[in-house]
Amino acid sequence: MELRNWRRWDWTIILSTLLLVFFGIVAIGSATHINQTGFHFSTLVVKQLIFFVLNVLVVIGLQFFDYHKLKNWANGIYIITILMLLAVIFVGTSALGAQRWIQLGPITIQPSEFSKLLMIICMAKMLSSRYEQLNSFKSLFIPAIYVGFPILLVFMQPDLGTSLVYIAIFIGMVFVSGIHMRLVRIMGTVGTLLMPFAWFILKDYQKQRILVFINPDIDPFGSGYHIIQSKIAIGSGTILGKGLFNGTQSQLNFLPENHTDFIFSVIGEELGFIGCSIVLMLLFLLIYRSISVAYTCNDKFGMLLAVGIGSMLAFEVLVNVGMTMGIMPVTGIPLPFISYGVSALTTNMISIGILLNISNQRTKYMF
Amino acid sequence: MLESLYKRKKTSRFDVLFYIVTGIFIILGLRLFAMQVLEGGYYQSKAEGNRLRMVPMTAARGIMYDRNGQILVGSRPAYTISIMPTGKPLDEQELDKLAELIHKKPEEIQKKVNDHKHGYEPIRIATDISMDVVTNVEEHRHELPGVSIDVEPLRFYPYETMASQLFGYVGEVSEEELDEIKDKDPSSPINSGTILGRAGLEKLYDAVLRGTDGGKQLEVDATGRPVAEVDRKNTIPGSNIHLTIDVSIQKAAEEAVDKQLNQLQAQGTPATGAAVVALDPNTGAVLAMVSAPEFNPNWFARGITTKQWEQLNNDKAHPFENKVIAGEYPPGSPFKIVTGAAALDLKKVTPDEMIFDSGKHWLIDKRNAEGEALGWLNFNRALAKSDNVYFYELGNRLGIENIDTYARYFGLGEKTGINLVGEAAGNVASPEYKKKVFDQEWYLGETFDAAIGQSFHLVTPLQMAVLLSQVANGGIRYEPYVVSRVDHADGTPAEIFGPKKLGVLPIPKNVMDLIREGLRDVTSEGGTAGEVFKGFPIAVAGKTGTAENAHGRDHGWFVAYAPYDNPRIVVVAIVEQGGFGAGSAGPIVRDILAAYFNVPQRDVSKQDNTTNTSKTGQGGFARLQSNDTTPTRR
Repeated sequence: MELRNWRRWDWTIILSTLLLVFFGIVAIGSATHINQTGFHFSTLVVKQLIFFVLNVLVVIGLQFFDYHKLKNWANGIYIITILMLLAVIFVGTSALGAQRWIQLGPITIQPSEFSKLLMIICMAKMLSSRYEQLNSFKSLFIPAIYVGFPILLVFMQPDLGTSLVYIAIFIGMVFVSGIHMRLVRIMGTVGTLLMPFAWFILKDYQKQRILVFINPDIDPFGSGYHIIQSKIAIGSGTILGKGLFNGTQSQLNFLPENHTDFIFSVIGEELGFIGCSIVLMLLFLLIYRSISVAYTCNDKFGMLLAVGIGSMLAFEVLVNVGMTMGIMPVTGIPLPFISYGVSALTTNMISIGILLNISNQRTKYMF
Repeated sequence: MLESLYKRKKTSRFDVLFYIVTGIFIILGLRLFAMQVLEGGYYQSKAEGNRLRMVPMTAARGIMYDRNGQILVGSRPAYTISIMPTGKPLDEQELDKLAELIHKKPEEIQKKVNDHKHGYEPIRIATDISMDVVTNVEEHRHELPGVSIDVEPLRFYPYETMASQLFGYVGEVSEEELDEIKDKDPSSPINSGTILGRAGLEKLYDAVLRGTDGGKQLEVDATGRPVAEVDRKNTIPGSNIHLTIDVSIQKAAEEAVDKQLNQLQAQGTPATGAAVVALDPNTGAVLAMVSAPEFNPNWFARGITTKQWEQLNNDKAHPFENKVIAGEYPPGSPFKIVTGAAALDLKKVTPDEMIFDSGKHWLIDKRNAEGEALGWLNFNRALAKSDNVYFYELGNRLGIENIDTYARYFGLGEKTGINLVGEAAGNVASPEYKKKVFDQEWYLGETFDAAIGQSFHLVTPLQMAVLLSQVANGGIRYEPYVVSRVDHADGTPAEIFGPKKLGVLPIPKNVMDLIREGLRDVTSEGGTAGEVFKGFPIAVAGKTGTAENAHGRDHGWFVAYAPYDNPRIVVVAIVEQGGFGAGSAGPIVRDILAAYFNVPQRDVSKQDNTTNTSKTGQGGFARLQSNDTTPTRR
């Protein structure tokens, strides 16, 4: 990375990311009642801010590094990922019926967040050597096992949401790897037919979430409560919103989990349609850029990395924002860059760092 | 070539990827637009409903004053505990904690919360809780975010059971009633928690007394804890009403009834109920009104328990019935006033004509109550002695039609018109009535019965009081009334009620004088109530009565007015199944008159022994009386 080339940096990605994190920190502040006792920063805001600053340094640091090296480390990364996920199962702490966290000193980390990026790297390595060769079920066997194992581990935590993110990433990457369309059609059909059987492997609370998603009123005070209150929060924001820190739903705690999974509802309530549109626009720009970086990247590993990152972000936005508006079931997937959560923020920022790295090197090739 | 093929394929794959991403954002954007722009208003009202709670504030009901400005019915401050509904089920820990603190069962509280249908108004859990419970709950405030303690005016009846059927009672509007009211008039000021008059004057004057409830709009958080007051509408207290009741007479009447019923019961008499009314004969104003047994309206104000309710509801003596206006009894001997007035007026008998009582009438074997024979009697003696044979003969001479006509002159058989709910009209015996109801012919024996106040005659104690008022005041019939003034909210009079003349008896003064003299002699020595009023310092005119009761022991009547020369008060008393009127109802009337005329209590209480138990000590008492009383008329 050379500073004199600053004009060629991907400013769309940089600015979108910075603005999104900024929105996120403000919204977390609101969700944690920053204005209620005088003007205090909750520890959550402080933590998120510190990690943001640290991650900016990491992202800058990543620019002095060639992402191609990751390809050589992929096997090691894979083993680390598996070990990390196993560690969660054996030494993790649980909350809300799931075991997802590992306590490391003052912070709790959520390995399944990091594992998403790590798996993108591993899958990119694996698929780059199979590019345009995925034309039979046999050829898909190895990649499926390779990805299936960590998915299974995440699913067993249980973390249905993250395992679905894995699948979304995998589909996105396999798709651009030139999988034969015939396979896509067959798998799509079989997958659809097998869908009802998936019901039997879900945990009770997961089934409940899906039932409630279909009709929140079957349990308006229990699992339906989140969805109902979230919809009220967003809808009541109307066009301009109730004003920052003035959302009644979030300030009076009608909205649960409002600094993590339901942060979008806080933005919807306080900043209205305008604020939400800006956030969605920024997210769209970021995802769009990752696709176009992938498209213009001349090396398959970089292309697959970028597509993986884009798929991950797109799926998370769809599921999270959809959930807050009642068109997706509650799965516990945070909104990238905005939800509170230092593991997710770190993962997403490092992803952006890698994306910038690819973007920069790509321009070098083009000259 | 290969390269370009690769490029083309790659491009199409990326196009698909791009379309999918764009599609995702279009879907999210459209959904957002629908919710925030198109349906924003709907969600806004939902959000307001979430955070705003209308907390009703109960208006203090108007005060009922007696004729001298004494408070009969008022309000006092009381602590209530409510739960703010959150739209979520009650937190179990909070519920258990609260139940423990206010000594109720958690299920009881849960039931109240479940029964609550009217959305987000606070649910009253306990009313009128004691100070130490308030303190306990206050101390655990942080564990009970949805619980609030408020001070509210509580209806208060300082004299407890006094005149309970007249005053009535109050109760909170029920959910069913509220649905009905809101169906009829959606803008009705009655809301969940509004206190309504349920009976008596509380019900009749509910609109005046109720006032307008106010409320405060609170902002609450998700646990129901109030965060801020957004708006407030102050309550408008109810207007006051002024009654014609004189609390000192009322109290005396209550005590007299109580004492007498206790004594009668102690003697083994099945006397369970009584009715007493005192009127000002010159206006129709009700001075006192007692119907026993009574109930305690404070039970209702505080929220009646099932046990209390069952106790009252299963009482065979009907504590809720105002026997003064709704109790219909055979008039018995006081009806001889009517028969006598008719016979004298129609010249069927002269005052001096002597009629022989051999113990039974010569046409039909009908006798005196105790089977006694009083020999030759003129009108005055016959009335004073309440001789049945004499009045059978008057009935014989009058015929049932004349008795009927004169009974109606005195206002029997029709409601007195007092402004109270539930007044009965009574009945006047007549062949037409018998024909209509029983489809049977009239017999002469029934005319005999009718002449002495039996047969099909039925009167209420109030009708009896009106009848006697006409005797006392010379023949003017006033409509009895108990409310003299209704105030505006600011205390200025809105409506004033005074005497209302309904008619004049078409009976000449000389006839009425003869009646009055006969009644005077009832309470004199040798009269049927001579014993009761022996030595009473005020000249009293009265009439005893013992009404045959098909369902049990005879009812005892005593009706009286005083002073004889210048009547200022009429008192009517009946003791259900009290037996002989002079012994059962007489002392009640005497005690009330004693209170009205400030006759020293010592005199009255001693006399009780003489009338109710034995005749010992009578002589000594008479001596005591001799120097401080006006000479009794003979």
